[in-house]
Amino acid sequence: MILTGNQIRKEVVKGDVIIDPFSEDQINPNSYNYRLGDDLIVFGDDNKQKTVKIDEGGYVLEPGVMYLAATKEVLGSNKFAMRLIGKSSIGRLGLFLQISADLGHVGSVHNWTLELVAAHKIRIYPGMIIGQITFWESKGKISVPVETYNKFNEPQESLFKI
Amino acid sequence: MILTGAQIAREIEGGSITMIPFDKECLTTNSYDLTLGDEYLVYASEILDPSKNNKYEVKKIPNDGLVLKKGEFVLCHSKELLGSDNFVPIIHAKSGIARLGLFVHITADLIDIGSKGNVTFQLYSTLPVRIYSGMKIGQVSFWETKGEIELYKGKYQGSSGPRASESYKDFKIEDDLR
Repeated sequence: MILTGNQIRKEVVKGDVIIDPFSEDQINPNSYNYRLGDDLIVFGDDNKQKTVKIDEGGYVLEPGVMYLAATKEVLGSNKFAMRLIGKSSIGRLGLFLQISADLGHVGSVHNWTLELVAAHKIRIYPGMIIGQITFWESKGKISVPVETYNKFNEPQESLFKI
Repeated sequence: MILTGAQIAREIEGGSITMIPFDKECLTTNSYDLTLGDEYLVYASEILDPSKNNKYEVKKIPNDGLVLKKGEFVLCHSKELLGSDNFVPIIHAKSGIARLGLFVHITADLIDIGSKGNVTFQLYSTLPVRIYSGMKIGQVSFWETKGEIELYKGKYQGSSGPRASESYKDFKIEDDLR
């Protein structure tokens, strides 16, 4: 079951959904809008990375290049599973926010890393509404999550090891 | 809970899901197949800006199809008019389309409950591919909700054909960053 906007509001009050800061304006019929933080990791040649601040004039993303950013909000739940996805208004401008890794684990509460890929050159602004998160009831015993990326609040590059 | 194909048929017949036209052949085990409409939209601006009304053109898909180059991005639409006041629709590509390297949405698979209209597909090709009006391109699944329902009243309600982004209409950035 996917939580409706009204149910998300109730769960925030109860503390079973954590959204910080929380704003009524960002509730949708069945999701909550999240905003873009102001740090952007840019990968150069040979995968060397640098973190840049997106200023109020915006930052232009080149097509076909991957950047990492983060949500401005701390988002999570100890009860519901989550899907972090884009807004249709942003998808219609050709900006991917995840690279087929949309699932949030029960127990993860943090600023989420976004994987930005532009299909068309696009200007992004810090603090803009960029995506949405949905919350899903789960079935079965909830196990304690293994601590991995959920401890990170800044855009975090892959820690994948073979 | 996700609805099965048989349940989707029941909800369409009972009026809880809108699907026009409805063709039983499009039901799958747990989704409904969507076909490509005959128009596509391309942006004319070099740099898209979510704070602005970006210029675009709407064109017809030729009878012999439209070739998308590798890395090309266009907006298309479903032939079907769909939506639900009771279930949340989620859009997916057909696996046969994904296997050709074609995305049908750009991380925007969720439809708000209460939203009715043609779905705008966000096509992004990772390989050259030819698309045809009337082909099966995507599928929609329907999900049960928990909590009191408030229906969508947003700017894309009643969409017909491909709808460009209207992000500029409610664009704002944080005051504390200004």
